[in-house]
Amino acid sequence: MSAVTNFRLLAAEAVQDAIRRRVVAAIAAVSVLSLLGIDGCTSCAGGSIVVNGESSELPQIAEATGMITFSVLALWCIALAGVLSAEHLTQPLDDGSATLSLARPVGRGAFVFARLAGALAIAFATGLVLLGATAALLNVRSGLAPGPALAGVGAFAVGAVTVAALAMALSLAIGRTANVLFVFALVAAISLSNVLSLAGREPGGALGWLDALGPPLASSVAVAVAGWVPQVELSADPADLVFRSVLWAGGSLVVLWACFSRVELGRQAP
Amino acid sequence: MNVLELEGVRKRYGRRDALLDVDLSVPEGSTIGLLGPNGAGKTTALRLLLGFSRPTAGQVRVQGLDPSDPKSRESLGYLPERMSLPARMTVASVMGLHAGLAGLTRSEARRAIDAALECTGIGDRADDRVGGLSKGLLQRVGFAQALLGEPRVLLLDEPTSGLDPIGVRDAREWIGAVRERGCTVLLSSHGLSEVERVCDHVAILHEGRVVTAGAVDDVVAEGETLEDAFVRWVRA
Repeated sequence: MSAVTNFRLLAAEAVQDAIRRRVVAAIAAVSVLSLLGIDGCTSCAGGSIVVNGESSELPQIAEATGMITFSVLALWCIALAGVLSAEHLTQPLDDGSATLSLARPVGRGAFVFARLAGALAIAFATGLVLLGATAALLNVRSGLAPGPALAGVGAFAVGAVTVAALAMALSLAIGRTANVLFVFALVAAISLSNVLSLAGREPGGALGWLDALGPPLASSVAVAVAGWVPQVELSADPADLVFRSVLWAGGSLVVLWACFSRVELGRQAP
Repeated sequence: MNVLELEGVRKRYGRRDALLDVDLSVPEGSTIGLLGPNGAGKTTALRLLLGFSRPTAGQVRVQGLDPSDPKSRESLGYLPERMSLPARMTVASVMGLHAGLAGLTRSEARRAIDAALECTGIGDRADDRVGGLSKGLLQRVGFAQALLGEPRVLLLDEPTSGLDPIGVRDAREWIGAVRERGCTVLLSSHGLSEVERVCDHVAILHEGRVVTAGAVDDVVAEGETLEDAFVRWVRA
């Protein structure tokens, strides 16, 4: 019995388990509202507007709003991956079904990565729908190329793996509510530090540290779709962003595996 | 050959020893009852054998392997004390998942699932959701998944918990049947009469130590019941 077969069986169960959760209905509702919002944000494609006597062509505004909309949606989906992961491992541990599976010839790695895959499947599906719809509408209405959107989806996927794995590892130590708050705080703080940095303003203190060393969640997505706005120059090195994103994703997976390997399963008070 | 072995095992939680210098060997094909008062360390011993927990000191071996090796759990069935599954899963999906994890092919799984469900008397419940089952039926599902694929080793934690008298008698028959085909059974239980009826060996744990272990006839003195012997050994 190979670890790959075990992973496949457990991942299929984890995806079904994720679909059965009530939060998925809420995600679907929010996604529909987001799609309506995207439709509104991308509907103006021709003409010009005048602000303080300065005229701007709508296609140029569409480029900038397209980049911002895409980045915000990607960050929302990254946070969603973290929220879904915040209890997708602890749930089977609490209800006892994890111990039943792990009493089979199943390694802890296969189990924990299958649970992660289950949570990520929902986040990826939501991301693909929202980001795909945004890219398609921007392409049809404003003529923006799909290439940067593909790179943006890749950046979203790597960021989602990082946040989901960290949230899942943290769920072994803290409760769900605290974990969800941590996920939103982390994504918000990193996004703020990245935006300040991309705008050429050096963030200080903890934000500066997050921007320099943390997972570049917002930077990597924004730089990926910056090709839509040729007149904007972002102060970031794409190679460094790719390197740090992949390093954080890999490191987060290792941390998750290491934390779960040490967990005492089914422990009762002696 | 000893299928299950604990050598000088100690398990410490904080300042308290759940197990202390435990030596226990279970030979292939034997049926051993693990007895002890609440908090004696029975469930801790099972958790160490399943690799759910690591010993603080000593060595644990299952089918000759360290329990951290998933291969040590090949052809092993386990029934937990509290059978709990996601409420929205059906009995068939639980069995399908565990047949797959047990390494059965699709055709083997189909035959094994049908056989296990029929054997445990829940053949007509395959499409029921687990959340709608009574405690006794859930325990039967637990037995059915543990018996999947004719395991060589069976670890049962309080197997008759939640079963009605007919269920208890059925459970005795299921254990008897796996014994007959040479399966090694470790049964942790408070039910002394059950242990006396189905086990050929017993080990009595008290405050984390094995106070006695051996063939039932060696542990129980002339004219004594297992209950008498249990009380004598625990009070000693």
